[in-house]
Amino acid sequence: MNAQSKMPLLAPYPELGEAPIPVEPYLSQDYYDKEIEKIFRRDWLVVGREEEIAKPGDYKVKRLDFARTSVILIRGKDGKIGAFHNVCRHRGNKVVTETGGEETLGSNKAAVVTCRFHGWVYNAKGELVDVPQQQKFPACFDRAENGLIPIHVDSWAGFIFINLAETPSRTLTEFLGGVVEHFDGYPFDDITHCHTYYAHINCNWKTGMDAFCEGYHVPTIHAGSFPGLTDYWQGDVAFNGEHRSIAFYSNGMNPPTPVGTAANALFGASIALARDEPFPLPKLVNPGRHPNWGFEQTTVFPNFLIHVGAGLWFTHQFWPVAQGKCLWEGKYYLKAPKTNAQYWAQRYAVILQRNAWLEDTATMEDTQEALLSGVLKQMNLQDDEIMLRHQFHIVNGRVNGE
Amino acid sequence: MTGTAVMTGILPQEFAELQPFAGKWAKPTEYERAAERRSATPEQLKAFYDAILLRLPDILERIDRYPLGEVTGGDRLLLHMALSLAEIAPHVEFYKSDPHVPFAFKEERMFGMHSGIAD
Ligand code: FES
Ligand SMILES: [Fe+2]
Repeated sequence: MNAQSKMPLLAPYPELGEAPIPVEPYLSQDYYDKEIEKIFRRDWLVVGREEEIAKPGDYKVKRLDFARTSVILIRGKDGKIGAFHNVCRHRGNKVVTETGGEETLGSNKAAVVTCRFHGWVYNAKGELVDVPQQQKFPACFDRAENGLIPIHVDSWAGFIFINLAETPSRTLTEFLGGVVEHFDGYPFDDITHCHTYYAHINCNWKTGMDAFCEGYHVPTIHAGSFPGLTDYWQGDVAFNGEHRSIAFYSNGMNPPTPVGTAANALFGASIALARDEPFPLPKLVNPGRHPNWGFEQTTVFPNFLIHVGAGLWFTHQFWPVAQGKCLWEGKYYLKAPKTNAQYWAQRYAVILQRNAWLEDTATMEDTQEALLSGVLKQMNLQDDEIMLRHQFHIVNGRVNGE
Repeated sequence: MTGTAVMTGILPQEFAELQPFAGKWAKPTEYERAAERRSATPEQLKAFYDAILLRLPDILERIDRYPLGEVTGGDRLLLHMALSLAEIAPHVEFYKSDPHVPFAFKEERMFGMHSGIAD
């Protein structure tokens, strides 16, 4: 790394350039349409965690508004997860009614799903196993040819990915590349107690991504909830194909307060409060084993951010809904509490994080609205915003590619 | 009956001085606790914070007499009030008792997937 450079993070990557990035990708309908067609309909996308559908017959239905579909993820009696469009082969009704909105969870002992309209039954392999009054259908109707329409599905580290392409150009392992080794040994499967928040935000999906991808905003935007995190720095930049990682270090934590201190003594659940417990990390995460390391962020292209800390991890995901609309999902993972007091301590930490996320999301619609004025043509990025720069280059390359 | 105290809102005798706060702050869901916080005045936040903070160690000791998730009766009200303390603590400790998160996305537009489920 070039210690003389004003931009030590960017210096090793001259291919990213130093020029401002254009605003057009945040505003153009044509650009958005190409992102959907060339990225979101072709790449592997995270749609859940294996433990959400842990038992045979458990299923999850997830809306994918950008593709105007929803996907049924169902675990079969053999333990395998199947993924299918939530579209009945009879007359197209949703097989599972989406009572949960963005995500609907359910379970069926026989590991089947039944369309409410006329009662067609499908198993976890997508096979159509029962049709009421089948004798009234014409001779040309063949049950074997009318299973659910499958979607490619695979898992890594407990994350369930789907791919909407008819034939994905890469396997999930090929797609993830170096990300797999990067997280080797991180106990995602052991820290599974999840706290979820979500919001529909009137901004382009990248406007949302950007607001979480740099530490530059922390001293200003988080002056309320993270008053101790002002003296931060970033490092450990790693690019793995389309994916990118960066670490956040800090010289300070939130000042001790009566409630914060009481909670932290029971369970170290906050990134803004010091955690003393030793915690093993993958060798590529905090490679220097620096004591001021706070957490690391990896963007799994295109829309999924995994933050790993010591003993906790959290994710953000921005789903395109339309050019200027997206769905944000924030999920915060802790080890299951053992006592009621620990439960209380975890809730304190999650509420503080929720408030920080309210501070982050507050910028997104303001930014998008101001960009809509059309008066700004470019964004000026500093060194700590290297993740945005990389995102622009990767997305732009794909949008303008074949 | 364990359910009676929850229904009548009566705290255990040893916590009688917190009784005046129970009506507003002993709410079973994050959703309700946040709504109570938003509708409170800064003075109300501070008064509740000061009163319950003194008894927080006692409340935590008390709820830990039960297995995880099985706190009942008047002690369950204390758990809910402690969770209201967690809800308002950042406001008193960091936001100058502003009942809203300053410079924030509209809270009512952000949903917690589990915030409607009773503790
Ligand atoms: S549309 Fe599903 S059974 Fe008729
Ligand atoms: Fe932030």
